Amino acid sequence: MKFIAGISSTTALLCLVSWQGAVQNNAVSAFVAPKVPTNTLTHLFPSNNDITNAMRLETALNAEAIKITMPALSSTMKEGRVVSWLKSEGDAIEAGEAIMVVESDKADMDVEAFEDGFLAKIITDEGETAEVGAVVALIAAEEADIEAVAAGGDAAPAPAAEEAAPAPAAEAPAAAAAPDFDFSQLDMPALSSTMKEGKVVSWLKGEGDAVEAGEAIMVVESDKADMDVEAFEDGFIAAIITDEGESAAVGTPVALIAANEADIPALKAYAATLGGAPAAAAPAAAAPAAAAPKAAAPKAAAAPKAASAGGRVVASPLAKKMAEEMGVDLSTVAGSGPGGRITAGDVTKAASGGAPAKKAAAAPTKPKWQPAEGVVAATPTARALAKKAKLDLASIEGTGEFGRVTADDVKIATGEMKPKSKVAAPGAPAPVELPDGLVPFTGMQRAVSNNMVATLDCPVFRASREIEMDAFNALYQQVKPKGVTVSALLAKAVAKAIEKHPIVNSSFRPEGTFFNKDINIAMAVAIDGGLITPVLKYANERDVLELGENWKELVGKAKSGTLSPDEYNSGTFTISNMGMFGVAQFDAILPAGQGGILAVAGTQEHIVPCKQSVLGLKKISKMTVTLTCDHRQIYGADAALFLKTLNEVMMNPSQLL
Amino acid sequence: SKPLSTKAAIHSKPVKMKLFIATTLLSAAAAFSPARTNTPIRSVTSLDASKCGNFDFDVIIVGCGVGGHGAALHSRAQDLTTAVFSGQDVGGTCVNRGCVPSKALLAASGRVREMRDSAHLSEFGIEVEGEVKYDREGVAGHAKQLANRVKGNLEGSLVALGVDIVDGRGVLTGTAHEVKDENSGKIYTAKDIILAPGSIPFVPPGVSVDEKTVYTSDGALELNSVPEWVAIVGSGYIGLEFSDVYTALGSEVTFIEALPNIMPTFDREIAKLAERLLIRERPIDYRTGVFASEVTPGIPGEKPVTIKMIDANTKEHVETLEVDACMIATGRVPNTQNMGLEESGIETVRGFIAVDEKMRVLTKHEDGEVVPNVWCIGDANGKMMLAHAASAQGISAIENIVGREHAVNHDAIPAACFTHPEIAMVGPTEEQAIERAEKEGWTLGKSTGSFRANSKALAELEGNGMAKVLYNKDTGKVVAVHIIGIHAADLIQECSNAVAAGTTVQELSMMVHTHPTLCEVLDEAFKGAVGMSAH
Repeated sequence: MKFIAGISSTTALLCLVSWQGAVQNNAVSAFVAPKVPTNTLTHLFPSNNDITNAMRLETALNAEAIKITMPALSSTMKEGRVVSWLKSEGDAIEAGEAIMVVESDKADMDVEAFEDGFLAKIITDEGETAEVGAVVALIAAEEADIEAVAAGGDAAPAPAAEEAAPAPAAEAPAAAAAPDFDFSQLDMPALSSTMKEGKVVSWLKGEGDAVEAGEAIMVVESDKADMDVEAFEDGFIAAIITDEGESAAVGTPVALIAANEADIPALKAYAATLGGAPAAAAPAAAAPAAAAPKAAAPKAAAAPKAASAGGRVVASPLAKKMAEEMGVDLSTVAGSGPGGRITAGDVTKAASGGAPAKKAAAAPTKPKWQPAEGVVAATPTARALAKKAKLDLASIEGTGEFGRVTADDVKIATGEMKPKSKVAAPGAPAPVELPDGLVPFTGMQRAVSNNMVATLDCPVFRASREIEMDAFNALYQQVKPKGVTVSALLAKAVAKAIEKHPIVNSSFRPEGTFFNKDINIAMAVAIDGGLITPVLKYANERDVLELGENWKELVGKAKSGTLSPDEYNSGTFTISNMGMFGVAQFDAILPAGQGGILAVAGTQEHIVPCKQSVLGLKKISKMTVTLTCDHRQIYGADAALFLKTLNEVMMNPSQLL
Repeated sequence: SKPLSTKAAIHSKPVKMKLFIATTLLSAAAAFSPARTNTPIRSVTSLDASKCGNFDFDVIIVGCGVGGHGAALHSRAQDLTTAVFSGQDVGGTCVNRGCVPSKALLAASGRVREMRDSAHLSEFGIEVEGEVKYDREGVAGHAKQLANRVKGNLEGSLVALGVDIVDGRGVLTGTAHEVKDENSGKIYTAKDIILAPGSIPFVPPGVSVDEKTVYTSDGALELNSVPEWVAIVGSGYIGLEFSDVYTALGSEVTFIEALPNIMPTFDREIAKLAERLLIRERPIDYRTGVFASEVTPGIPGEKPVTIKMIDANTKEHVETLEVDACMIATGRVPNTQNMGLEESGIETVRGFIAVDEKMRVLTKHEDGEVVPNVWCIGDANGKMMLAHAASAQGISAIENIVGREHAVNHDAIPAACFTHPEIAMVGPTEEQAIERAEKEGWTLGKSTGSFRANSKALAELEGNGMAKVLYNKDTGKVVAVHIIGIHAADLIQECSNAVAAGTTVQELSMMVHTHPTLCEVLDEAFKGAVGMSAH
């Protein structure tokens, strides 16, 4: 049994496990479905039947051992230094708990455990450096096993384990399910330390394709970026487990690679038995339709497909309503929507006797071309897309030249694209296209979602206050030509107020209040498809012009997805500003790890009594800010005083310059 | 040794692709030793009988493409009275129907591709609002205008240097020193005659070309339509460049390649990367190992173009395509028919005229004898069907005419394919180099540079690509360089010069490259060859 973890290439990190010869089935399945790992933590499976010297480690590890390997915290990271161990040998570890701090070429990061257990052996001590993928510590599943596991770690550190790999295949007993030939498994790599799962944006290779070491084989979208993932062994892609557009947890297999081309069918069959993987269920269901005899006339082929739905009619609400009004039996209608769902258009088509309305209109200008026998009337991209979606081209209505199926036609058939809306009556506004159905989260959206849920354990309170804005606004108008921005001024004002109330800049720790010496103001930025909080570090100490420039740069990076982790997760206090949208008042969710977040609403004008003015009234501008605090260490009075100070700063803003 | 082996290699191939190259005379200079004369140019007209003895001219050049033009310029530089028969086609294929206008189409369509690539633009922080549109006629007009302008410049330079231009097509009469104007029937005489008739697109049997729905590069350059789906027969330089143009403008493309591999003339490693960058990521598919045995033109809007394909080996029908247009890019054949070659005792093979390394015409390919005072340059001799190669051969022929022996080193002539990104090369492919090294008994070395590690390429967000330097490990001399990546065509010259001058990788590794430029990709490869790191 050979085991390689955390192999890094120049563009990405791959986890790959390969079997030589047969392995025990339980070991295989256990490996295939690990818990969601944040890092390249992986199991090492015990082997009960090897007694060779080379396999001593495994023998020693009859007790279940878990290896902690040096994770790749950036795509360029080759090795990492263990800055500190947050746990000592013998300590209990919980999944999700930070166990060490690693210094990479980019930043220092906490590395979390992803399984419960006990730290049995630290192999790479504090201050020492280990290569990415090298084992830095061993975890025992049971407290009683600590000694056994630690002893095993002494005997053979990671490299030795790798060398031990080519164990004679013949000695292993024949396995139940695992194929009896060389193959390897391509796992979802951890492209960043915070990545829990990755979406396969595209496969650069298809099933059956040969792959060479160093060749990019897929593009993965992590919570930070899209990256090419390269193969590092030659072979053939036997089975793609995670289809394009689907996500897989880090460390779970996304494809199987055969060493020999002849083994592809067997490996493909084996892949099918690897249940639990998020395989493409929907396309598989469509397969019977594709298997139907192709000789049928293109349009006729649609009919049997409706019947194949197996009694259950899937139709959009509008389609159901229209069918009822028109007296159309939905079970007789072929669905062209996603997953064969019946759309309103399908109902109209069925009601008008199958003659598509669109065709009728187009008929006079474009005479129908009848393709010659054997001609596939579809463009290259349409063919490729249909093949991928396992759709029969004959069942798709073509709108291209000579009735040819185009890429858009296939996308409409798969539901990826909306049919082009009918031309609206002259003068009437174009119909609004509303999104429909489930749109899978992007990596960033999922990260936001997870971060929000993570805040639920924190007891918070909120305090609102109106801030007088006239002086601030006047100052802003005055310095605006110099390039000073509202965001920079606001960050500086908040930072100045924090200087007087450091408690709102603190973090909760079970042992007490952790005061952050630096005032790093994070500000929420909505970017296309997500939300991120770039950080203005040392906001109290820096010049507003400099803060403004820094902010501009950070927003640019946020939009291009190139923020470094330190630039978005080093905040000690957050501002969420929706003032520019005219929001009257709102409150924000406190980010985990921070003490406070300030929700800034829009400025509104008020008429207030004023004895000095002629009419006894004057106009002032005010905005409402709402502070959300962690009540475990910050109290209501702290918040009230902070807000009072903030108001004072805003009323005397010259101190910000 | 080089010219002979080159000749053998070229002639053993059925059809050699004509390379579309934006060329300058300067680019050919690499193949030459430094100019040895510096004769001032005379400002008199050429009809100076006393100077030419019994002949009207010292040199008559038949054909006025880039090769004929290059020969004429050098002829005048040597103070020879010179006439060129243009056949009403000053500029020839390159300027009018090849390299030059295709560069205009690539430049325009390349911009469309760039501006429509919102993902790439957003990485720069650029966003284009609304749809990027182009006007097909405007794009075609740019190509036409460019061709006319370059043609005008070319003609202007001939007139300015005192070259006589005869409008008709020139043919040999069978009598030595004579060239007849096919239009007027008038006979001109010259001491030396240089044949530079060029080539025309090859149309395989079974293919009907209407130049509207089924066309060669001649018709394609007019860009009469941007079809929804176009089939391109042949995946050489021409086909590849046009697939770049078509896909950028919104067409889908199917390549039909007779050989077992797509892009068969390229170095395999480069072809593999090219396939990923230029084919797989685009709306292109392909069939290999098949012939387009029957191509029938269509009528736009009424009937599609029908392409029947047969297996290259079994000749059995494999598939029929119905497409909107079909481009035939199966190579070029010499334009040597009916020009009096037979009458002059010159045998051709598939139209190719045999020449020796000095560009002297031979009576036949196998053991032919030199035909005195007749020379042939450019596509018609098939040595290397490139515009700048033709020009280099023209200059070489004139050198030999004036008595300075010269032979072009074809191994040092670079070539480029102007796709996005570009492909460029000088010298043999790696496969050929391996063979050559084995046969000649030297050790082949290989070193690569990568665009992904290059600051300038990364600044352009164009990190895809590689440069491969093949060298003789025994002598250190550069044998060949293949580059695919942004601006590859502009990067190859350094390598071409190195091959021409016999520069070693040891010398190149110590030469300083500008930072940060794409040249550093080559710096990395040169340094890698001697065990140094560039970064």
